[in-house]
Amino acid sequence: MFRASLRRGLTAGAVGGLLFGLFTALVANPLVGYTESLAHAHEHAPGQGHVMPETVTAAASVAGGVVWGVLLGGVVFGVLYYLTEPALPGAGSTKRYVLAAAGFLTVSGGPWLLLPPQPAGVAHTTPVGTRIGWYLAAAATAAVACTLAVVVFRRLAQTGVAVRFAALAGLLPFGLLAILLVLGPSGTAVGDVPGTVVLAYRGVVVAGQAGLWVVLAAVHGRLSHRRKQRLAVGPNETLPTD
Amino acid sequence: MAATHTVSDRIAQANQELTRWEVAAGLALTAGLLIGLLLLQQPLAHDGLHNFRHAAGVVCH
Repeated sequence: MFRASLRRGLTAGAVGGLLFGLFTALVANPLVGYTESLAHAHEHAPGQGHVMPETVTAAASVAGGVVWGVLLGGVVFGVLYYLTEPALPGAGSTKRYVLAAAGFLTVSGGPWLLLPPQPAGVAHTTPVGTRIGWYLAAAATAAVACTLAVVVFRRLAQTGVAVRFAALAGLLPFGLLAILLVLGPSGTAVGDVPGTVVLAYRGVVVAGQAGLWVVLAAVHGRLSHRRKQRLAVGPNETLPTD
Repeated sequence: MAATHTVSDRIAQANQELTRWEVAAGLALTAGLLIGLLLLQQPLAHDGLHNFRHAAGVVCH
């Protein structure tokens, strides 16, 4: 049962990863090139910055997108969904979207409050070691907040509180993220990319990651649905080919 | 298929199905991929994944 779950998670991850790779190739690569052309004060100075031709970078980035999807699909939907499914609120696909939302907040959303995505051409002023430390701290805080949110919701729903009030109360643990904003480094960045472009860029990055999580949840739900149908038909009977 | 209704049931079931080595291999693979994607600062890999890091909003840029 665990193996089947892991296989479904990895398959969903491969589909999500391929789509995210496509997104990287069609949207992100040109956008990164554009913001880089806007910037003059980029940390990779022209002429000595890129050690590889653009096409190799583009291809490697697509491959990176695929690996990213498979990793998230395998870990979050293959392993974590299997383990936490009994505790997740809702039924059927709701459980998957709850987990996807928690995954997005932990891996990206929470950390972005401290360290928002920066376009190429804008350099963080905080050193990379510090940023990785804060990334891990923010991811851990977001994971704790998501877990507490589910616990609070379930406790209240069990005691007979209306679902919408339980859901509202479940939002309270996300106040923990405010601690990060108080303690974390003030995210300053330097570069010549105009503010509106930075904002648009962030929108694209957020949409890309949120889209990846939605695809993971949807494909995973689809695969599980097909498995249930197969089980309902019975292992010894043949399925109609569709 | 046994009815599994709590998280601890699921953990117990996974424990039964998997050997210790499989768990170790899975964890090692995951850790390796994570380090590879997020923490690698070698110029070649860093530059190769440049656009991906920007597209995914990875913080080590």
